[in-house]
Amino acid sequence: MSGNMFQIARTGAAAARASLELTAQNIANSANPDYARRSLESRELVGLSLSGNGVLNGVRILGISRNDSAVVQRQARNSASELARADAELGALRDTELALEQSALFEGLVEFEAVLTQLEGNPLEPALRTNALETARQLASTFRFANNTLGTARQQVQESAAVSLDEVNRQATELARINQSLTNAREGTAGQAALLDARDAALRALSEEVGIDVEFDSRGAASVRLSGASAAPLVDGISSNALTSTLAADGTIDFALAGSVVAPTSGALAGQAAALEAKADYQSQLDAIAADTISRANTAQTSGADQTGAAGQPLFTGTGAGDIELALTSGTQLATAPAGSPAGSSNIGNLSALVASIGADDGPVASTDRLLLGLSSRIAAQDVTRSGLAAIADNAQATLLSETGVDLDTEAANLVRLQQAFEANARVLQVAGDVFDTILGLR
Amino acid sequence: MSFVSNATGAFYERSLGQMNGLRGSLERLQTQISTGVRLERGSEDPAAASRLRTLARTERLSEVQEDNADKLARDLTEAGDEVLGVANLLSRARELAIRAANDTTGESGRTAIAEELAQLELELFDRANASTLTGEPLFAGTAAGPAFVRAADGTVTYNGNTDIASVPVAPGTELERGVPGSQVFQFNVNGTPTSAFEVLSSLSAALQPGTANPGAAAQAAIEGLDAAIDTTTRNQTVLGTRLAWVEVIQDQQTNRALSVDEQQSDLGDTDLGKAVARLQQTLTALEASQASFTRVANLTLFNAL
Repeated sequence: MSGNMFQIARTGAAAARASLELTAQNIANSANPDYARRSLESRELVGLSLSGNGVLNGVRILGISRNDSAVVQRQARNSASELARADAELGALRDTELALEQSALFEGLVEFEAVLTQLEGNPLEPALRTNALETARQLASTFRFANNTLGTARQQVQESAAVSLDEVNRQATELARINQSLTNAREGTAGQAALLDARDAALRALSEEVGIDVEFDSRGAASVRLSGASAAPLVDGISSNALTSTLAADGTIDFALAGSVVAPTSGALAGQAAALEAKADYQSQLDAIAADTISRANTAQTSGADQTGAAGQPLFTGTGAGDIELALTSGTQLATAPAGSPAGSSNIGNLSALVASIGADDGPVASTDRLLLGLSSRIAAQDVTRSGLAAIADNAQATLLSETGVDLDTEAANLVRLQQAFEANARVLQVAGDVFDTILGLR
Repeated sequence: MSFVSNATGAFYERSLGQMNGLRGSLERLQTQISTGVRLERGSEDPAAASRLRTLARTERLSEVQEDNADKLARDLTEAGDEVLGVANLLSRARELAIRAANDTTGESGRTAIAEELAQLELELFDRANASTLTGEPLFAGTAAGPAFVRAADGTVTYNGNTDIASVPVAPGTELERGVPGSQVFQFNVNGTPTSAFEVLSSLSAALQPGTANPGAAAQAAIEGLDAAIDTTTRNQTVLGTRLAWVEVIQDQQTNRALSVDEQQSDLGDTDLGKAVARLQQTLTALEASQASFTRVANLTLFNAL
């Protein structure tokens, strides 16, 4: 009988000690974002006796249980995916806005219009003619600068898409490896809990880059598909497929998984793909404005006569924002007068037509304003969407943390409670010893 | 086995997020105050940014149009001065013609008058070929000039054209730069086209010694001179009216520039009072949340163990 007391106190002290160790582990990991709170599962140990009555045998440690909630995890992952998409797209669009606003294209076009208007007041003044020509040269270089900064911004997005893609493939390989270890791990061990932590961390990292659907098997191994895509799985058991990308001529990006085309719906990759498509659109709009400027200026020039009475020559060469160049070499070549005017004519009929054409409602000045307005409105709208998504993601993250995170106050209370439990068990041991001694001391 | 807890990590994350948000808006306010500009990027207020662009364009074009108006006013003033000179000159010629027509004026007197008329004709030719400060002919239309040329036999012909360039001086307003010489110096007398030069030089020739009946010729010339004076006065009025119009437009330009400035300031400038008040409010909120953060963070059971 007192033998059982020894056994009960021994198991109790061991269980209290194991719990204390877990509490210490929880406290040590309280700042680790990938760590889910552990607790010890135990059960009363009752043996069978010959008489049919139970024999009390103390407590049995069942294993380590890891606080986990698949639903909350999924919510946190999906909202993080959406936020990453919005962030990636918004960041890239802001770069585009900066590129187009800082290149001062609108100001350049207005300045061109202004110097031409000034020339109208005094068409034969050599200084004004030279000024107009140099402003045209400046305008051409502004177009090229805007084109370059847009190109640089596009390249940055493409590079970060490549980084994201590497991360996806790295995490997918890692996940397949974790799956393999999980199938071999024993239930309820600290090792299994650590693997599950690593699995959730990998899934979280993966969902930052691309939206995923996850299914778990009975051992906790995850199989992953890109969300919204019925194509091959990214990770299936211990095997993973590589996600690849190809860049199109206009700078947009396409993805393929195991050979078939996929379109990510969320995650940074989706945002980057959307941003690249937007950039291709803005690039073509910029090229259209440059081509429009070239054609309007050249049409006006060639339908007029320059200061020497000769037929006007094209003002610009090139076909878009990337290759626009000033073609004229001297201010006298500006065809301010209508065709057929004699040398030195101060008739400004042709110049007025050019000024009107540049400033027209469908002209380059108005188109540039529309381009900038469209871009900034899009960013403003995206910004609103983003703050909404950020609130949702923060909320999901907070929910996840309160489900799985470590609460230091609880752990402190546990420390006190478990210490007392341990001391109580030790006391039981002492009592059992006393009882035994009492019996031995009978004379 | 899941139960809800106050995870310590969640508390730190939340507090950090809130304080970061406050610090972010503080920095934006600070930038707005120190730069004086409300909109750093177009996306902060797309409609206002577009409006600001349009205003900047209006402002830039107005500056140029003001320059144009100044130049136009100068040109018109110069043309007006020349035409005034011409009018005075023609009045003097008319006086001389009347005196020459008077029978009491002897031959030597007529010769002196003829001499003065020849000089007046030269001055008239100079005035007709006057140019602006920037060297363009005032009365040649849009031609390169000179406006009038004198042939070897002394006849003066118009070398310019009747086109007059219009200068944009305000949005949608273009004013003609001057009047063509043909309109100022050429006219019809009894249906015959003639010019002020011709009237003066033929009168001067008719008063030379040895010419038959100079008094009658002088009498006949008065009609031509009257026509010349009429034409000149009419053009003086045209130039004067146009100059007055330019002055009205210059006034309007000043008013418009003020209104553009005002709108730009309304749309794009920081409202300092508001911004400083918001800054103070946000500062208070940040200080309060920092203070409460440290106090709550210190509330842990471990302090009691």
